[in-house]
Amino acid sequence: MNTLLKIAWRNLWRNKRRTIITAASVFSAVFLALLMRSMQIGQYDMMINAGVLDVGHIQIHKQGYWDSQSINHACEFTDELKQIISSESEITSVMPRLESFALASYGEMTKGLLIQGIDPEIEDPRRKLSNKLIEGRFIKRKDEGIVLAEGLANYLKIGLNDTLVLIGQGYQGITAAATFPVVGIVKFPAPKMNNLFVFMGIENAQEMFSPYFPQLVTSIIIDIENDNKLDKVKNELSQKLGDHYEVMGWNEILTEMVQQIQSDNGGGIIMLAILYLIVAFGILGTVMMMTMERRKEFAIMVSVGMRRYKLAFVVIFETILIGAIGVIAGIIAGIPLLNYLYYHPIPLTGSTAEMMLEYNLDPIMPFATDSFIYTNQSITIFILALLAALYPLIFVLRFKILKAMRS
Amino acid sequence: MIWSIAWRNVWRNKLRSLVIIIAITIGLIGGIMYYAIMNGMVEQRVNSAIDNEISNIQIHHPGFLLNEEIQYTIDQPQNLIDEIEKIEGVKAASSRIKASAMISTAETGTGVMINGIEPEKEKLVTGLSDKMLDGNYITDKDRIPILVGDKLAKKLNAKIGSKVVITIANTDGIITYGAFRIVGIYNTDNDMYDELYVFVRQNDLCQLIGFEPKKSSEIAIRLTENITTDQIADVIRAKYSDQIGSGILSVRTWKQIEPTLFAMIDMLDLFLYFFLVIILAALAFGIVNTMLMVVMERIKEIGMLMAIGLNKKRIFSMIMLETVFLSIVGGIVGIIISIALVQYYSTKGIDLTMFSEGLNAIGYSSVLYFSADTKFYIITTLMVIFTAVISSIYPARKALKLNPATAIQQND
Repeated sequence: MNTLLKIAWRNLWRNKRRTIITAASVFSAVFLALLMRSMQIGQYDMMINAGVLDVGHIQIHKQGYWDSQSINHACEFTDELKQIISSESEITSVMPRLESFALASYGEMTKGLLIQGIDPEIEDPRRKLSNKLIEGRFIKRKDEGIVLAEGLANYLKIGLNDTLVLIGQGYQGITAAATFPVVGIVKFPAPKMNNLFVFMGIENAQEMFSPYFPQLVTSIIIDIENDNKLDKVKNELSQKLGDHYEVMGWNEILTEMVQQIQSDNGGGIIMLAILYLIVAFGILGTVMMMTMERRKEFAIMVSVGMRRYKLAFVVIFETILIGAIGVIAGIIAGIPLLNYLYYHPIPLTGSTAEMMLEYNLDPIMPFATDSFIYTNQSITIFILALLAALYPLIFVLRFKILKAMRS
Repeated sequence: MIWSIAWRNVWRNKLRSLVIIIAITIGLIGGIMYYAIMNGMVEQRVNSAIDNEISNIQIHHPGFLLNEEIQYTIDQPQNLIDEIEKIEGVKAASSRIKASAMISTAETGTGVMINGIEPEKEKLVTGLSDKMLDGNYITDKDRIPILVGDKLAKKLNAKIGSKVVITIANTDGIITYGAFRIVGIYNTDNDMYDELYVFVRQNDLCQLIGFEPKKSSEIAIRLTENITTDQIADVIRAKYSDQIGSGILSVRTWKQIEPTLFAMIDMLDLFLYFFLVIILAALAFGIVNTMLMVVMERIKEIGMLMAIGLNKKRIFSMIMLETVFLSIVGGIVGIIISIALVQYYSTKGIDLTMFSEGLNAIGYSSVLYFSADTKFYIITTLMVIFTAVISSIYPARKALKLNPATAIQQND
């Protein structure tokens, strides 16, 4: 086998130019593929991370809350519930939230907004909400005040220390009404969020929406240590909690994002498929030519006694080696570049950047360095090379010695 | 004469030529199909947005654009509408009253944008009346009708006949409540739109919030051809230049209303042409390799031709023409097959319902129609020829370097 490999390698270099051009085409395709896939995967990772930061890895609600999004499907955050959750080892943080829609009024202006009753001690460092402050301070636990998004503050023409009136529909039909002083204003780059949120301590929200059920929450947001354990933790929680509650992973909550990623991923794979198909033809063409040229040589080798199958191995090796040269060169060029880009992503500007900010993403083009990106390309080229090798293989196994000798 | 020689040379080694031709064909089909798909998606999104959501041109009081406060109105909207409809290319115009409000049922409440419309007029401007999933469009017989999107209806746990309460600030800033009955549930392919917009009769809304009937928040204009948007917008701007100048009227095209939509078209075009370039670059390798083999094989023959007097320029052209012919055959077959596929799928469409949730969430339909225009095919053809010419340079130069004397003695 070793000898055959050596023969194959030396055969490649008998026609340097042809080998180099073919290998170069493989190289350029692999390099491009690496770049493109790294960009795509990097982007998906970025979107997923932003999404998970927002909705957590796992959410627990009362059964039916997710479809209705109504406060009437809120549940109580009982001690029993807390215990069950804390018995799961993978969980790193637990955040209860009470969210509901309400109308806010100040002076002559009225606007609808979303109240997020949170535990600021956990949620603030996680979502870096204090960093977004442009006036005042963020709420603390047991705070009397609320924090408003900048868009809302501007519309209502309300400022620090002014009192905001809130009216909404409370738990089980009561009218929820309350007033709160504004202690801080935050700015979100995404206009949708900038015009939407009001943050208050969850106790305040609970008092406003359900004074008779003090521990009411609409969702319990859970972060876990390792994303790979998501299904395990989800299933265990589901079992322990029973039918009264629904346990959802981020991929179920962010179905739209997941599908967008899937369809974009599909599109990217199709693009690569087209590229690789072209490269495959390139390899096929080269290999065909090599075979045709060496008919006489093959004929002589077989007639002095070389077994046909060994000759077949030689041509198969040659084909694979051309592909291998291209792939290895591509990977060698790719690894340092991708590593660099991973740590120094390309910043985006202009209307593209604005669009990304609107979706709450950093305006950068991120890159990924996962090993599967490299292995996938290698495997694909390997398979394509094998397929291209079929032509010389079949020829070697079936050619007629005398006819080839006389060509 | 060089032309016919070059053409015949291409077919001397049928197998080799066929391999590269097939490669070019497949590469082109792939690239063109990809373009057609992406272009189709974006075109469809834009048309859908214009058709159902934002129309071609919108007119507001500039103050309204800041915070959508209802006190910024257009005076005498009917006069404007009558005059605008006389402009050639305008299909129809309608006026609406817009206000933000909260809608609630026993289940829950949420924020919405209320549109007070003139139902019959609105039918000519938007495709809303065709998008009814359940129930009916607003008719004169209904008492206090409201149309909601299916996403919203689901959220509110409401159906046809359900009563909803609208909480809204009237023109004096006082919170008022009004009851409406759902007569129709609509669905555009844009979930974000369906969740936000509800439609009631203009008179009903005026009565509820004390809005003056001879004013309006917004005039939407639908044209017969989307292409004419910019021109007609300019005509309208010229017509009402003093009102625009004194700051009481603003005329915007859909490109200004949804600039991201517009930016997307440009970006996509750039990206797709770039992809085509990459495909052609990959093909170039194959073409160069093939032509090199062609030249190397015929060293003796080329040497002979040079010896009997074929000058260098003609040899260069011959090789170049062979390359170009080879590529054009692949190119033409590829383009013809692509045109056929695009034409077929531009009416039939591909069903992508398994991605419908994700696509609808960002406003895309889940049925894909292909679309590509003649300009694109022409540019592609030119790019193929260009690639061929560039690829031919290296092999042709190799041919020129041959010394006729030694070349003839080659024993290959």
